[in-house]
Amino acid sequence: MQQTGIRRRAKRWLRDSLPFWLLLPTILILLAVQVYPALYTVWLSFQERNPAGWEFVGGANFRRLFGMGLFGESIGHTTVFLLGYAGLTLVIGFVIALLLNRKLRFSGLYITLLFIPWVIADIIVGIAFRLLVVPDYGLLSGILQNPALFPPNGLSILTAVPPRPWIGDIPFPPAPAMVYLILASAWRALPFVTLLILAAMQTIPSELVESSRIDGANPRQVIRFIIIPLILPTLVVALFSLTLSGMNGVGMVFSLTGGGPGSSTEVLSYMLYSIGWRQLEFGRAAALALLIAAVNWLLIGGTLRLTRVEERSH
Amino acid sequence: MKRLSTLLFVGLLFALIVSACAAPAAPASQPAAPAEPAAAEATSPAPAEAQEFVTWYQYDENNEDPASDERVGNEYLRDTIPVFNEAFAGKWHWVNQPKAWDKMAAELVAAVQAGADVPDLFEGGSGQVSLFYKNGVMQDLTEWASAQPWYADMDPNALLGCTGPDGGLYCIPVAQRPHLVYVWKDRFPNGFPKTPEEFLVEAERLKGEGLYAVTFFGSTAFDGEGLTRAVWTTIASFGGNLDDGQGNMTLNTPENVAAVEFLRTLVQSGYVPEIAFAGGFQEENAFKDASAAAFPTGLFGYRYVNPLTAPNGTEYSKGNQEDMLDAIEAGDVMLSPFVAPEGMTPGCGVEVSGFAIPVGAKNPEGAKAYIDWIMTDAAQNSDWVLRPGGGFPTLKTTQASADFQTPFYQEAAEVLSQSACRSWYGSMDRKAEAQKLAMGAIYKVIKEDPTADIATELQAAQDEYNAGN
Amino acid sequence: MPRISRKRMESLLVNAALIAICLFALVPIATTLLISFKGERDIVRNPPNILPCDTPTSAFDWRECRWALEGYERVLAAKPSEGGLFPLALTGNIVRVYIPNSFMYALTTSLLVVLLAGMAGYAFSRYRFRGHRALLVSILAITAVPLLTNLLALYQIGATLRKAQIPIHDDRIFLIVVYIGFFLPLSVWIAKGFFDAIPRDLDEAALIDGCSPFGALMRIIIPLAFPGLMAVFLLTFVNVWNEFIAGYLLVAKNEFKPAMFGLYEFLGQNIINLQVVAAACILIALPIVILFIFARRAFFSAMIEGAVKG
Repeated sequence: MQQTGIRRRAKRWLRDSLPFWLLLPTILILLAVQVYPALYTVWLSFQERNPAGWEFVGGANFRRLFGMGLFGESIGHTTVFLLGYAGLTLVIGFVIALLLNRKLRFSGLYITLLFIPWVIADIIVGIAFRLLVVPDYGLLSGILQNPALFPPNGLSILTAVPPRPWIGDIPFPPAPAMVYLILASAWRALPFVTLLILAAMQTIPSELVESSRIDGANPRQVIRFIIIPLILPTLVVALFSLTLSGMNGVGMVFSLTGGGPGSSTEVLSYMLYSIGWRQLEFGRAAALALLIAAVNWLLIGGTLRLTRVEERSH
Repeated sequence: MKRLSTLLFVGLLFALIVSACAAPAAPASQPAAPAEPAAAEATSPAPAEAQEFVTWYQYDENNEDPASDERVGNEYLRDTIPVFNEAFAGKWHWVNQPKAWDKMAAELVAAVQAGADVPDLFEGGSGQVSLFYKNGVMQDLTEWASAQPWYADMDPNALLGCTGPDGGLYCIPVAQRPHLVYVWKDRFPNGFPKTPEEFLVEAERLKGEGLYAVTFFGSTAFDGEGLTRAVWTTIASFGGNLDDGQGNMTLNTPENVAAVEFLRTLVQSGYVPEIAFAGGFQEENAFKDASAAAFPTGLFGYRYVNPLTAPNGTEYSKGNQEDMLDAIEAGDVMLSPFVAPEGMTPGCGVEVSGFAIPVGAKNPEGAKAYIDWIMTDAAQNSDWVLRPGGGFPTLKTTQASADFQTPFYQEAAEVLSQSACRSWYGSMDRKAEAQKLAMGAIYKVIKEDPTADIATELQAAQDEYNAGN
Repeated sequence: MPRISRKRMESLLVNAALIAICLFALVPIATTLLISFKGERDIVRNPPNILPCDTPTSAFDWRECRWALEGYERVLAAKPSEGGLFPLALTGNIVRVYIPNSFMYALTTSLLVVLLAGMAGYAFSRYRFRGHRALLVSILAITAVPLLTNLLALYQIGATLRKAQIPIHDDRIFLIVVYIGFFLPLSVWIAKGFFDAIPRDLDEAALIDGCSPFGALMRIIIPLAFPGLMAVFLLTFVNVWNEFIAGYLLVAKNEFKPAMFGLYEFLGQNIINLQVVAAACILIALPIVILFIFARRAFFSAMIEGAVKG
């Protein structure tokens, strides 16, 4: 009798504490690999290195960061990049999803071909795109450097001077290299966004589209008044996740433009790499990392809130 | 789903087979005992009592590709490691860890800061002294070096390149790599111009022939690496300076502005090919096919700039360092000092390359034995300078040896005797930051914005750097 | 009749558009492949030509194509071998050392991530406890701090562990743990999403039928969640394969480093010859593309789940 009681209690204890045991390894690993390094970054952002070791410098790293001419410039480049990258990817992804969202014989083949870019490392994508526009020898350069097409000297993407900004110091219209960087980044992100939108489109009941057609709506109206409103949450989720990946990706800039020509593709993530691992000013890099983290938090928070709203509405 | 998992299983199986096949082919890559990395060294067996001596070179002795960009350095290690191990049998066993050339300094700083394993010897030189000093990475070698017999034989200027802000000696210089100008002789029938004004005249003539006067590392790639090359050569030739000797940047001076103005004229008049700004060492291509007549760069550049096609159609197509040497011997390519305004001496950059011993090295005595060997054994000294060093010896006795009396070295020595070479960063201790800021500003005014006021832009970069002092 | 032909017309147009898009999307890959098979002479040409098949007399002659294997020869560095199974041994580090390493890292990490994310996802999905939501959100929020500065701390941990000389421990184990930490947060969310989609009634039914909770998990839940776990596996596999900077910094010995480091090292030694760079890129991307083509369905569900639930 007593034995079964103990056994039952042990069983219950085990059952009640099961979630703890299930979560424990994950939590331990994340504490070591994510939490401790993040705290270290916070500590680092208040330190500076001198020959004797680390020295507490208060907010000096942040002040130095804000004093950098490149910092403000880089925010401009990042904004232009994010807008172009997210906008372009969403629009093209939407169009491709629309095309795929019907019964096609070869849709499996199309999807497979379209999605290959997504598994290729960003550094390799950057190299592939760079090979296309190497001055004089790249296949695309052969076309773009034709003076008849781009007078007077043709267009060399990797070296072309950015156009004069329309408003103040805002780097718009962007340099050709920035446009090309956006294209390359969009190329790699497109499969993901297309699939996301396609999946959302397929949840739309076909009767809804049919009945509105019978009511006399033309295809454009169907898209505008039926499809877009219904997949809006997905579009916003895609937007956030694109912004997040665009904000943090550095491999593509690294291998495609290296921040150049001049500083015209120097986005914040590349600047972080440059300060940290080329100039080895780890303190200042940590300060910049925290600012980027703050933006990331806003984006993650936004995504979570949206998906929650979506979950509730279902 | 079942089909998928079957496929996946097959895929994984394939992967395992691939790794399994690779394993027997590569016994050297799997050290038998983890505590004994020397086992990775299959080239020569280590006697049991020999201690390990670890180096970080940017070269890889196991890369036997004869077409690799770094074949010269790779071969040096492949040839020399066994020789060293034999010469020091029972005492030292040399283990090299190849590192990426543009990351090895960063890795060493991180390693010292984190208390991780560091090499006993780091192949580096004047370029890293300030960075390493600031991060407390290097041992001060003054006491040891000055007691060695070869110390007195060394070029004092080279020693200066290894001297830190506190006067300590943070590296041992073995080779000096000065910058000069490679010139296609036939492109300048009247000889290479002496002054900027003459150069502009020649450049205009070449432009009329559909050619470019000069190509150089003009991009901002590698965080402003271009500053250390042709840009500094120009500034130095105009009598300019980038620092005030107290660690402050002095970018906005009348001499510097004049030098930058000259570069701007070259670029904006179309005397420089667009490829000069493409980064990734693409600028060399314009010299290879002789479409650009002159190429100011490091002396060691001869190694990378090949194959060549001379203006008269002669092809030098071995595809290795001999192409440039052949072209010089044949008289198609000549070496020259840069142009300098009337009454001034042409300037150029110079770096010192050699060895440093990191703080925390396990066997600094091994490193010292190696350095001593390189500095004492005349053949080894020449070999190091000729191959990984790619420059002139810092030891006067080696300088006089037959190895450095080839047409190439004689011509280079002659050219350098007409120029005044010095390091671009002088007393500035945040070299990487200074380089990026200065090159960014100069690139902007010479390429992007031909109407911007040069002095204003240079001053802005200067102020930003000095704000960190 | 006219209605049918209009429909056909439309489908024709859509197919044409999709074919055009696919071709366009493949241009960068195709040109990299082309470059990898060209010789130096046909790459360094101004103006460039697409195929190395022109002759002095004609613009294109397929019999005169100068396809070259130099790029691959230099990456693979095949050498005659004695006593091996094959007459040739590939001595290039990328294929000999780094790609097998990447397989090992990607496989081990993915399996462990599946296990841990499965456990954690199940706990989050089936149990409500204090701090449930907060913990779930913090798991994701912690990934917001950029990796580049976090690496310094990880580097320090790695160095300390190396010094402690724990038996059987080496950098490879540390790197795998780090990779697990990188890719676990999103995987937990994906796994939770999949478990959420399995009706709770099923667990209860299994329990009533006399299964232990563990038995219920193994017999009912895991098979149903299998596609989700497969998705986690594949997603992690691709991410580990493509990761560069941690694999570069956290492993001291080159013979333990992964394929993306191999590419970087290779670039350091061969920046000038584009055909070699292209061949190296192709060889490193190839295994993962093949994996993708075989397992695309699971990939697609992985991507959707990852984005919607995370």
